[in-house]
Amino acid sequence: MRRVTVRGAAIAAWVAALICGAVACGGSTNQPPAAAVVLDVTIAKGQVTPTNATLGAKVGQPITLRVTSDATDELHVHSSPDHKFQVAAAPNQTFQFTVDVPGNVEVELHHLDRTIATIQVQA
Amino acid sequence: MNTDGATVVLAHGLGGSSDLPVPYAYAMVGAAWALTFTFALVAFAWRRPRFDPLKPGRPLPTAVTTLVDARATRWTAAAAALVFTLWVVSAAVLGPQTQSNALLGVFYVLLWVGLVALSLLFGPIWRVISPTRTVYLLLRRIPLGRPGGRLSYPEGWGYRPAAVGLFAFVWMELASPDSASLPWVRAWLLIYGATMLAGAWLCGQRWLARADPFGVYSMAVSRLSPFRRNPATGKLVIGNPFDHLPSLPVRPGVVVTLAVLLGSTAFDSFSSSPTWRGFSDQTSRAFGAPPTLSSSVLRTIGLIVFISVVAVSFSLAARATGGVDRDQRRALPGQMAHSLIPIVVGYIFAHYLSYLVERGQQAVIALADPLGRGWNPLGLAHLHVAYVLSAHPPVLAAIKVTCVVTGHIVAVIAAHDRALRLLPAGHQLTGQLTMMLVMVGYTFTGLYLLFGG
Repeated sequence: MRRVTVRGAAIAAWVAALICGAVACGGSTNQPPAAAVVLDVTIAKGQVTPTNATLGAKVGQPITLRVTSDATDELHVHSSPDHKFQVAAAPNQTFQFTVDVPGNVEVELHHLDRTIATIQVQA
Repeated sequence: MNTDGATVVLAHGLGGSSDLPVPYAYAMVGAAWALTFTFALVAFAWRRPRFDPLKPGRPLPTAVTTLVDARATRWTAAAAALVFTLWVVSAAVLGPQTQSNALLGVFYVLLWVGLVALSLLFGPIWRVISPTRTVYLLLRRIPLGRPGGRLSYPEGWGYRPAAVGLFAFVWMELASPDSASLPWVRAWLLIYGATMLAGAWLCGQRWLARADPFGVYSMAVSRLSPFRRNPATGKLVIGNPFDHLPSLPVRPGVVVTLAVLLGSTAFDSFSSSPTWRGFSDQTSRAFGAPPTLSSSVLRTIGLIVFISVVAVSFSLAARATGGVDRDQRRALPGQMAHSLIPIVVGYIFAHYLSYLVERGQQAVIALADPLGRGWNPLGLAHLHVAYVLSAHPPVLAAIKVTCVVTGHIVAVIAAHDRALRLLPAGHQLTGQLTMMLVMVGYTFTGLYLLFGG
């Protein structure tokens, strides 16, 4: 009985040390500037640019998609909760949103079935 | 093409954001712990096997065993699970035919990840709650000629049918053209149910024990549970999971089954990386194939490659020892297979914990109103998901790294102990080195993928 308790305490202490060590090491994350994030998207002749881009943003920071398109489509922003935007066949449409939960947020073009960008939203 | 029918690849068919990558420093700290511990273990640990599935354990009061084994308890649990299944099925068939349908969350989160958590806590629970088993037991009561036991289950198949079933699940989730498609998920479940019932009709309950993917998944994970049965008396005991782990039955296909679980989880991380996406888009453009189809084909190939790498590397590492004859060497991968379980469980929790906690809430909220008619019988409908893990990325990252490293450490301890039992004197140290290196390889790869590839 006694041995089991001591061993249990040792394991608990080890797990705690591991977590604290990991948290302490990663505590100082570098802060990106809080300017608005803008992504220019062009849809022409069934092709979209960019694809699979990576961006960084902060929680609550406005993110703007500036879309020029020659076809109607639908933009899906897979944040929690999701955002959906209707794209018309027109130049310079802007869609703005903010993300409230940190995570990797994918911006997808629904009908062309392409991932435009993944936005890393940090706390 | 109408709007709802268009395909868009949602992460796990659920939409929403995915976890942030683990910071570099966390991954490095985890890797350093894993490496240090492994070699300290090989160099300094015990030289006689200590863990034994035949140990009696600490018995729980007799009343607990009586209660758990009571027919009334079993039927109550089975009936509750069956009612839950009917609820989900009614949502799937009659509910809103969109991605907010409760079926997707139940299938991909509550079933796939929730089953791991329950089996880890309480043992092989799928055997009790499996709705197909309950339906089979009910059908057996109808006097239509006694089913079951017409054929005996071919023992040479072992767990291979379950490995195929698990592959079918991960294919549906990670490689199918549209994992969020309700008709596809419904068809998957229909085929699963039909296969299970037909097999049980022919071969009896042994079919369900060997071929049900969720049953074998639950059974394998339950070997890490502190609760087990005393092998001599059948009474429930609480004991060291290290004594429970080696009791994993060694049957054909056991390594492949675990490789499907580990390989698919790793592929899930890898396939969301920009590297893979770029490669996939480029290849589909080069062949001029429709993107949805070519992406599905590429993902299927990627999934098979990941699973094969795990299965082959583990089998070779287990065999790489001196002092054993041909037959012993062939048996070694199966005899070591239980040591993969902690790595699988650690990595599944690292990868899917936020899914279980956050998407799990979403699934429960969706279930409260299965038909999308504004029902609110349990007062859940107005609730919002609490993003308890995602909102604190450092805590989530620390939990993930801890899961992976803990799984690794438990695995190397189990592998070391089993090597002492299996390998002949004089080869015990050198014989386990390859296995240790391969496990370090799995853990480093896992951490690298969590770090973002």
